[in-house]
Amino acid sequence: MAFKGRHIAGRSIDNSSFLEEINLDKEKKRTFKFDFVLLICVLLLSGFGLLVIYSATMFSLSANVSDPAYHFKKQLTILIVSIFIFGALLFFNYRRFKRFWIIVFIANILLLISVLIFGYEVNATKGWIDLKFTSIQPSEFSKIFMIVCVAAVLSKWRSEKKPVVSFKKVILSIFIVFLTIGLILLEPDFGQSIIIFIVFVLMLFVSGANFLYVLGVIGVTIGGVFAGLKMGLIQQYQLDRLLIFLKPDVKPEGAGYNLIQSKIAIGSGKLFGKGLFLGTQTNLNYVPESRTDFIFSVIGEEFGFVGAFITIIIFAIIIWRCFKIARQASDQFGFMVCAGVGFLILTQMTINIGMTIGLMPIIGIPLPFLSYGGSNLLSIFIGISLVENVYMRREMRKDYEIANEEFK
Amino acid sequence: MNINSNRKLIFISYLVIVVVVLLSLRLYFLQVMSGEIFAQAASENITRTRSTAAPRGNIYDRNGKLLVESVPTIAVAVDPYTVLGREDILTILSKKLKIPYNDLKKKLEEKKTTYIDRVIIKYDIDQETLVYLKENSSNLPGVEVMNIFLRKYNYGYLAAHVLGYTGEITEEKLKMEKYKTGYEGGDQIGLTGIEAQYEDILQGVKGKIIYEVDPLGRPTDIIEQTDYIPGNDIYITIDIELQRFVEETLATQLEQIRETKITNTNEYYRAGGGAAVVMDVKTGEVLAMVSNPTYDPSVFVGGISTTDWNELNKPANRNPLNNRALMGFPPGSVFKIATAYAGLSEEIINNSSSFRCAGTWYGLGSDYPKTCWNKGGHGGLNILGALQNSCDTFFYELGLRLYLKNKNADELLQKYCRILGYGTPTGIDLPNEESGIIPDKTWKKEWFKNDKANSIWFPGDTVNMSIGQGDVLVTPLQMAYSYMAVADRGIQHVPHILKDISEDSGEDLFDYSIGEVKDLSLNQDYLNTIESGLYLVTKQGTAASAFSGFPINEFPVAGKTGTAEFAGRQDYAWFSCYAPIDNPKYVIAIMLEESGGGGRNVAPIARRILEYLFNIESSGIVRSVDSFGD
Repeated sequence: MAFKGRHIAGRSIDNSSFLEEINLDKEKKRTFKFDFVLLICVLLLSGFGLLVIYSATMFSLSANVSDPAYHFKKQLTILIVSIFIFGALLFFNYRRFKRFWIIVFIANILLLISVLIFGYEVNATKGWIDLKFTSIQPSEFSKIFMIVCVAAVLSKWRSEKKPVVSFKKVILSIFIVFLTIGLILLEPDFGQSIIIFIVFVLMLFVSGANFLYVLGVIGVTIGGVFAGLKMGLIQQYQLDRLLIFLKPDVKPEGAGYNLIQSKIAIGSGKLFGKGLFLGTQTNLNYVPESRTDFIFSVIGEEFGFVGAFITIIIFAIIIWRCFKIARQASDQFGFMVCAGVGFLILTQMTINIGMTIGLMPIIGIPLPFLSYGGSNLLSIFIGISLVENVYMRREMRKDYEIANEEFK
Repeated sequence: MNINSNRKLIFISYLVIVVVVLLSLRLYFLQVMSGEIFAQAASENITRTRSTAAPRGNIYDRNGKLLVESVPTIAVAVDPYTVLGREDILTILSKKLKIPYNDLKKKLEEKKTTYIDRVIIKYDIDQETLVYLKENSSNLPGVEVMNIFLRKYNYGYLAAHVLGYTGEITEEKLKMEKYKTGYEGGDQIGLTGIEAQYEDILQGVKGKIIYEVDPLGRPTDIIEQTDYIPGNDIYITIDIELQRFVEETLATQLEQIRETKITNTNEYYRAGGGAAVVMDVKTGEVLAMVSNPTYDPSVFVGGISTTDWNELNKPANRNPLNNRALMGFPPGSVFKIATAYAGLSEEIINNSSSFRCAGTWYGLGSDYPKTCWNKGGHGGLNILGALQNSCDTFFYELGLRLYLKNKNADELLQKYCRILGYGTPTGIDLPNEESGIIPDKTWKKEWFKNDKANSIWFPGDTVNMSIGQGDVLVTPLQMAYSYMAVADRGIQHVPHILKDISEDSGEDLFDYSIGEVKDLSLNQDYLNTIESGLYLVTKQGTAASAFSGFPINEFPVAGKTGTAEFAGRQDYAWFSCYAPIDNPKYVIAIMLEESGGGGRNVAPIARRILEYLFNIESSGIVRSVDSFGD
């Protein structure tokens, strides 16, 4: 199939692997040539996130936790690990992921299957694997894996002379994405599935594929949801839960209660906020899940409109840098990976912040960099690392690829 | 990255700007434009207002004897929202408070839908439980130990119907206008009797504590505190010792009647219940109001159990919760004063007009014979003899003539009945007073609207009515009220229970319209005639044997016996009287259900009450055994 063909082709005219060899030689010189704006913004948000997590957890501890800084310390450890992995990945040419995307894909699928077998449930979602020293949430990593695989499939194959997004490629990418989503839906985790779907559609849109393919994917999905509803695979209440933001109910056990309390928290922050550690709504647990999905409520309450606005602006800068680096990338794979990571941050930020202020449905997804949770933080750092990686190796395009294209 | 891809990414970049602007605008709206509102909501989130119950006012009798008081007690209340779904808490509560787990859960689930955030689950907990709950309060969010007050009835079942009982306010009541302000879930309110009638006076004003809480609802800091104002004490017109005497006398008499067979049959009297009212003729004060069977109001304290409630409502127990003194019954001959007054007023008869009683009367035609209770006939008698012997024939004739005058166009008999107070509530300050029935053309048309043949007024209807039969219903209280009009020569004092209020606040809460005087402008000569007839009843008439040995010359009594037929039941027995005749002081009306003749079975009770009131030495209950009926 596609894999086989590419493999054979790769052996015969393997000019890009030749280029990669040279790139690897030059790697050391280019290590420190990376986008500081992106890195600073990411570190700012993550550091800020630590403070906000501390504020959200110091007064409301989980059962059998006595240290008020417990969550803070845990997140700090993960941040340090994430930064380490971020740095380590920089030494690893991103183009290798393109070559071995199939391994990434298999790893992704195996991880998602193992969570269905070995995972444990939180809030009725079987999405976590306990590794004794820590637990991981495979669907978080899935998002990055999916971006890499889709980028690899939709960018120029070595068998091709010109980058064309053919029907075959689109079908292959759909297969990858829908298999991933299907496995995540079995947990079930609707939030992550929706994110992956939106990121995929955006990636397909910018890949250069015919716009009809994009419309086709959206159309088929919507049709599928309706069919699922009709056939009873999707229950009405699941749909209702998604749409609760349109008409929040006031019962404390309902999802609408979370929304009302979140709006009270954010609204009561007014212009400048109540000050770090001084938010009563979030500190006193009126906003449920305040350290994870509703972390933005804490920001809104304690830092007011100014703090919330600055947070959104920093997100916008990160997304902008991702897109900028995408456009500077030396190859289409790099472009697609950077755009994908940008889309991921954009989608998650929009939906997460949107849901805390009543603009979006309440689907349980974390806010990148800020929400408490190791898998969320580490996976997004891997994503950012890939973007920096692309940036560091962007020069290649001018020196070699143009020449290579002329050579062809 | 072809140019196409780049262009699309730039397009998405613009989308990012749109997203940022939208999110920021929304945040601006929430935080800057509506910030105050949300800040208010946030501070409400962390403060709670709890009220502290005020003790209800005490109730004293006319002599200052403490009938009902409020005693402090400790109750456990829970917030159903917090506690439901916490099985651990429910289990602890169930075990510590000894309430079956499922009962507890069911009770809370019922209340959960009602937005009542405080449900009392147990009253009067012991010291050990209290200490346990206080020590473990941090593990028991939503559980509250409250100081409340409960009613204590010092005289048990005595005057239960007058006093009424209290209970927890219901959801429906909370929505009513009367309970809009100052009331909340878990409050004790008066549900019947004086407790309900004077709820606003007895209730008092609750204290208030505003405090901050942590997210689990545990109080952290008190912000504001105001003390409660106790309810006002009230004094009622009831003389509790007289009440006791009347209740016991009535109960004993009913018991004796139940052991008696109906003459010439093998059937026993059912004597299922009765009522008695003793009033002060000159003021309208109700000195005793008895309804039998009765109940112990203390079963309602702290919430009545389902078993007790079902027991009280079992038909076999003859509805002890009903206040029979305020319910309508067929009056029979006690009603004849109204017919007599109507006949005299319409000049159909005068003092000396006499009719012949042959035992059977054919006034409505030979097809419709009507009999006097005395089948042998009374011979010729005038109004005095007719009252004395309770001659039905005389009153049949009188009724018919009242009908024939103007062809019943003015409904003359009904007019005089209404003047005397029948057919409308007396206006006593007790809830659920019935109006009784004085039937007329309109009433009959409405009542028999599905039975056209019966819906017109026949002469026989007026004839039946003239001896207090037919569809006439009169409450024992109305009966006493109408005899008051005869006793005081046309002056009626509206019956009332409230005597005084002790206003601690200095505020004057007393309603001076209570005990209002009504001058009915009745003809004194006619009343004199009727009184003479009523005097003969106890002296030598239908109640003479019940009053034999009573110092009738010293304390002359005007009374009337009554034996009402009631379709499908045994006869209802009545006696109504007032004394002393020259300067009337007390008016009494007594009714016993399914107890046979009024002269035989009820008049002796009245005699005993009068003996008690006038301090006359008594020889115990004398039930006459002669056949002198009605």
